Amino acid sequence: MVTHEEILKIARLAKLSVAPEELDGLTRDMNSIIEFADAVNSVAAEDSGFDNINNLSNVFRDDTVVSSFSREEILKNAPNQEDGYFLVRRRS
Amino acid sequence: MEQHGLISKIGGLLRSGEISCTELTKKYLETAEQENGRLNAYVRLTPETALKTAAEVDRKLSAGEKLSPLAGIPMTLKDNISTSGIETTCCSKILQGYVPIYDATVWSILKQQDAVLIGKTNMDEFAMGSSCETSCFGGAKNPHNTERVAGGSSGGVASAVAGNLAAFGLGSDTGGSIRQPASFCGIVGFKPTYGAVSRYGLIAYASSFDQIGPITRSVADAALVYDAIAQYDPMDSTSSDKAAPAFSSLGKDIRGLKIGVPKEYYDGIRPDVKAALENALKVCQSLGAEIVEFSMPSIKYSLPVYYILACAEASSNLGRYDGIRYGTLTEHYADRDEMICRTRSEGFGAEVKRRILLGTYVLSAGYYDAFYKKAQNLRGTLVKAFEDAFSRCDVIAAPTVPMTAFPLNFTARDAVETYLTDICTVPVNIAGLPGISVPCGFGSDSMPVGLQLIGARFSEPALLNAAFQYEQAAGDDVFRALETGVAR
Repeated sequence: MVTHEEILKIARLAKLSVAPEELDGLTRDMNSIIEFADAVNSVAAEDSGFDNINNLSNVFRDDTVVSSFSREEILKNAPNQEDGYFLVRRRS
Repeated sequence: MEQHGLISKIGGLLRSGEISCTELTKKYLETAEQENGRLNAYVRLTPETALKTAAEVDRKLSAGEKLSPLAGIPMTLKDNISTSGIETTCCSKILQGYVPIYDATVWSILKQQDAVLIGKTNMDEFAMGSSCETSCFGGAKNPHNTERVAGGSSGGVASAVAGNLAAFGLGSDTGGSIRQPASFCGIVGFKPTYGAVSRYGLIAYASSFDQIGPITRSVADAALVYDAIAQYDPMDSTSSDKAAPAFSSLGKDIRGLKIGVPKEYYDGIRPDVKAALENALKVCQSLGAEIVEFSMPSIKYSLPVYYILACAEASSNLGRYDGIRYGTLTEHYADRDEMICRTRSEGFGAEVKRRILLGTYVLSAGYYDAFYKKAQNLRGTLVKAFEDAFSRCDVIAAPTVPMTAFPLNFTARDAVETYLTDICTVPVNIAGLPGISVPCGFGSDSMPVGLQLIGARFSEPALLNAAFQYEQAAGDDVFRALETGVAR
């Protein structure tokens, strides 16, 4: 069973806030999902050796210089910017 | 070869000069504008891009230049496929106003082929949902009955294609998001093998499951679009060069084809849906295919495995939305931590938050071994179960969804009940296989039912041929084209 406190802790980790009125519903939903997900624990634990679907490892590109986006382009979608930088408020 | 297809038909009209591409595009744009109030399929129309491409196609036509198969064809992209200079939102408040500075590879390819983009289509927020109703723009509706959902998450594409507001569209499928809405709207939805189509520029939900694919009016159309977009892309490190062209394989005899029917897929599906599927299997048998029944007990772990792994990947992928580099930013905050937390809390909808929280939970210390690691091991077990199944049969036939499209605002008792509707589609994503949904009749509520055919990895030519042969033999009884929109 996941408690209110655990939900609040997970939310902090995920950088999400949970309003007091959302807490009951969210806890109920999470518990029913976790109970359902727990079905995976009813099967014997064995390492299937699964790594990834395409059996890929270390996909590297050649170390060559290629053109990329300009600073102006990268900053185009920034909500706040100043002198060519992303503007973020100082940590208090 | 395209009994219900539009792409070759429209291409023929353009080449014969019966209609100019500009006239055709204007008709589609006008119809999309008129019908969108009813269907809410599009979240943004792109008349400038469309008319510019149309003019270029007309120029090439009058100059006698050779056109690609998709040139001049009116189409749409799900709103999680990046389009340079055109707002791309994933139908989330957090991305409203975001204008990508680059194109997704699939869109670059279609642009080069002069496909005409009519607009960007509606979807569940960040592709999380099975009804299209988690969109911040409200859900798309089903053209067969506007009191029903179009399905999710690529509901907007399915609604636009079924309602004739586009000849084809590209959606994305993480746990069934192409096949399920195609099934609900009575059209074809094709999820290719993982890696066959580049994901570069697809805004990520769960990267090891996500795959882009076509939603079309016919299997032949799906094959044409697949052949165009299935290219190796160095910009996607999981892209493969193994994809083989499929269109040229259509029409081959399927006598002796072994169609696997794992009984677990048919447990608990609605009786009228089951009846439609049984008829579909009879049609396949009449073509000389052989039905092979067997059991795949591990299928029952698919849903928990999918939700654990997909949510874990989502919690990581969606960590990038902090209001600093792109997207919307909260107005009121005292410090940086509050800024990020408020931006995310105001920007993400309830379903997205729920999945981020579940993902964070299964990855957190103390639960990682019990959930994430266990699910990853079971994923391997499921991959092996499918390998074993494909040693007994050539393709698997299953329902796409155990029911037909549900009513708007259908409230399931809880989150799990909603997740259960994905039970027949998620195994394909877990194993990275190709899967296609083809219309196979109607339920007792007169809503379309989908037949899902599943193939081994990179078996697209044989899989699409099997679907094509079924579609041709089943004829119009299972497929009712809707009398709306432009080209019929």
